[in-house]
Amino acid sequence: MNHDPFKWGRPNDATYGAYNHHIAQATPYAYEEQHASSTSTTTSSFPKMNTQNPIITGTSVISLKFKDGVILAADNLGSYGSLARFTNIERLIRVGKETIVGISGDISDLQQIERILEELETTQEVYDNFDGGDDLKAPHVHEYLSRVMYNRRSNMNPLWNAIVVGGFDKDGKTPFLKYVDLLGVTYGSSTIATGFGAHLAVPLLRQLIPEDKDYVNITEEQARECILNAMTVLFYRDARSLDKFSLVTVKNDGEFKFEKELRCEGQRWKFAKDIRGYGSAQQ
Amino acid sequence: MTSIGTGYDLSNSVFSPDGRNFQVEYAMKAVENGGTSIGLKCKDGIVLAVEKIINSKLLVAGSNKRIQTIDRHIGVAYSGLLPDGRHFVNRGRDEAQSFKSLYKSAVSVPHLMDRLGIYVQNYTCYNSVRPFGIVAIVGGVDENGPHLYMIEPSGTCWGYTGAATGKGRQTAKSELEKLNFEELTVREAIKVAAKIIDQAHEDNKDKDYELEVTWCSLEETGGKHVHVPEDLLQEAIKLAKEDDDDDDDEEEDDDEEEDQEMET
Amino acid sequence: MNGISVDINHLKKGEVNLGTSIMAVKFKDGVILGADSRTTTGSYIANRVTDKLTQIHDTIYCCRSGSAADTQAVADMVKYYLQMYASQLPFDEKPQTKIAANIFQEICYNNKDNLTAGIICAGYDKVNKGTVYSIPIGGSIHQQEYAIAGSGSTFVYGWCNENFKPEMEREECVDFIKTALAEAIKWDGSSGGVIRMVVLTEAGVERLVYYPEDYQK
Repeated sequence: MNHDPFKWGRPNDATYGAYNHHIAQATPYAYEEQHASSTSTTTSSFPKMNTQNPIITGTSVISLKFKDGVILAADNLGSYGSLARFTNIERLIRVGKETIVGISGDISDLQQIERILEELETTQEVYDNFDGGDDLKAPHVHEYLSRVMYNRRSNMNPLWNAIVVGGFDKDGKTPFLKYVDLLGVTYGSSTIATGFGAHLAVPLLRQLIPEDKDYVNITEEQARECILNAMTVLFYRDARSLDKFSLVTVKNDGEFKFEKELRCEGQRWKFAKDIRGYGSAQQ
Repeated sequence: MTSIGTGYDLSNSVFSPDGRNFQVEYAMKAVENGGTSIGLKCKDGIVLAVEKIINSKLLVAGSNKRIQTIDRHIGVAYSGLLPDGRHFVNRGRDEAQSFKSLYKSAVSVPHLMDRLGIYVQNYTCYNSVRPFGIVAIVGGVDENGPHLYMIEPSGTCWGYTGAATGKGRQTAKSELEKLNFEELTVREAIKVAAKIIDQAHEDNKDKDYELEVTWCSLEETGGKHVHVPEDLLQEAIKLAKEDDDDDDDEEEDDDEEEDQEMET
Repeated sequence: MNGISVDINHLKKGEVNLGTSIMAVKFKDGVILGADSRTTTGSYIANRVTDKLTQIHDTIYCCRSGSAADTQAVADMVKYYLQMYASQLPFDEKPQTKIAANIFQEICYNNKDNLTAGIICAGYDKVNKGTVYSIPIGGSIHQQEYAIAGSGSTFVYGWCNENFKPEMEREECVDFIKTALAEAIKWDGSSGGVIRMVVLTEAGVERLVYYPEDYQK
C-alpha cells in the first residue's frame, strides 16, 4: 500500500507498477489514438470501450400469466433524461402469430431488436416453413433473444434493454412468460416487470399471484384489472412514465388482442385538498 | 461457316464463331424438359403456378413444395434443375435482406430483378462455372403495384404480364395470350392458372402431376406471398378437370409450333 | 483527473458545436425546415451565419445539430449513399424521404459511440408528400408531424405542442417556425443569428432568410 499522504491507500507503484490511467479513461477512440501516437506496431494494452449508455429510454414493462394466456403492458413514452421527448413509442412488438415481446430501455436498441425479430420471423416462418411446419413460438423467440443479448454483452457492447417475452409453450396451450436483459440474464415467472416496475408493480402483481403455480386460478378479467391498477400506480410514482399505454392480451384459444392508446383510469387525486403543510398545523 | 463444330460448346467463356454461347443454350434445354411453371400479373396482384411432376409414388402427397419465397412480398416459380433454383432463391433472399438492412424498407421487385439479373449473367462469363439450369418466374407486389419477371440462364430478365416456361410453355403461352390482364383479378386467375397447367400437362401426359399455386396481392393476402387456401385450390382443380373433359376433342392443333422455339 | 473518474463529455476537446435550434414541420403542400445560424466553440461564436440546412437530394434536406464535424461527415455519407440508391431507380423516380432518413439512422446507430449528431431529416416526395423524421443522438428514428431538436428546442416544447396544427397553409407554417425559433434563440445562448428556412414542395426548393430585426418582437 502506498503511504504517501496524497496517494494513501492506493497500490504501491513499486509493487504493482504505475496505474494505467487509460483503463479508466477508455474511449471508443482508444484504438485510433494508440495508432496515431505509438511508434511500435505491437498491439496495445489500451482497452477499447464499447459500452454506451441508454439515451432515449422507455420505462417499465409489466406482465402476468393467467389461466388461458398472458397479458403485457408498457407505456408509450420515450424519455430523453427527464425530458418527455416522444410520447408515441410502441414498446410491445408482435412476433409471429401468438408471441408478444415487451421492451424497456434504450429506444434505438429497441428498434434494432425490432429489426432482428423481423429477420428471425422472415427466415423461420417465410423461408423455412413456407410449406408448413412449426411456427415460431415464444420459447424460441426468448431463447434467440437471450443468445443475442448475451453475445452482445460478451462483446462489451450490450443492447441496453430489459425484455419480457410472452406467449405459449411449444404445446400451444401452457402460458409462457420469461425475461432477458442486457447482461443475458434470464428467468421465468408468472409475474414479471422490468425497471421501476420490478420494484413497484411486482408486489402488486404478486398479491394476485402469490406463487408461480397460482396463475391457473386467475381469470383474464382479474389479470387485466391487476395490470391496469399497476400501470396507474407506476404513473403515480415513476417520474419517467406516461398515463398513455398499450396492452396486449394473448389467449390460447387463438385470440390476440392489441389495445393501443389506453389511459390510466380511476386515478385518485381528490385527497390532495385535505393536505396542508408538511407536519405542523397550517391554515 | 466452316468452323462450326468442335470445341465451342465446352466452355462458357468462349463464343462460337457465329456468336453463340452454347452452354447457355444447353442450359435452356435443361429447362425445356422441366415441369411447366407459369406466372400471371393481374390488376390486383400476381399468381404463380407449377406443374409438379410426380416421379415416384413414394413421395408424400402435397409435400415437397416447389414455389419459394424470396421476401414476404416476392415469390418464385422455376423450371429446370431444382437445386439451381434453390441457389438462385437463396441469392435472392440475401439480396433482399441486404437491401433491407441498409434502407430499412422492403426491396422493390424491379430493383431485386436488376440485382439477380447481374448475378445470373455472371454465370455465363467464366469457364469455371456453368450457367443456371433454370428459368425463373418472379412475381410480387410492392409500392408500385404488382410485377412479374422472367429470368433466363443468359441473365435476360424481362417484365411480363403472363409468363410460362418448362415443357408445356408453348401451350401455356398461347393460352396466356388470350387473357385480358387489365381486368383479371387474382381470385379469377387461380382458376385460369389451374386450367392452363392442366392443359400444358397434355405434353407430359405419361406422368402424374400435382398442382401448386401461390398468390400475392394487397387485397387478398395483405401483400404477402402465400400458397392459395386449400378450398380455392381444390375448386380450381375441379373446374380445370371439368373443362378438360369438355374440350378434349378440339385440342389437337396446339402442339405444332414446338420446335421453332429456340431461334432467338 | 484522479484516474478513476471517466470523462463522459461527448464532445471532443475544442470541437465546434452546433448548440442549435432546428425544426421541420409538415404543412399542406409539403414540408418546411428551419434553423438558426449560430456555431460555437465553447462560448465563442465560430460562425454567426452558418447554414445548418443541408441538401441530401433534390427535395430531401436535413437539419444538423451536435458536432459540426460529425454531422457534416454523416450528411456527406448519406448524400453519397442516396446518389448510389437513386442511380438504381427507374429514370423517372426519385428516392423517398424515408430512405434518406433510414440511412441516417443506420449510420448514427452503428457509430453511436463515436458520434454526437442529432438530425432531423425532412423532404418532399411524390408518394408520401411532405414527411419529417427525427434521428436523435442514440440513432433511433421517429416519424413525426413536426420535429424540433437542438439545445434551443427544449425552451419551445410547450409552445410548439400548443400551437402546431396539421395541414397548415404555407404562410401560417412559416410564422409557426419563425416564432418558435425566435423564442428558442431568445432563451438559448447557443442559438442565434439569422433564421434560415427551406420550403420543399412539389414545385421544388425555396430558401428563406429572416434577420434579427425581422423576427425579434
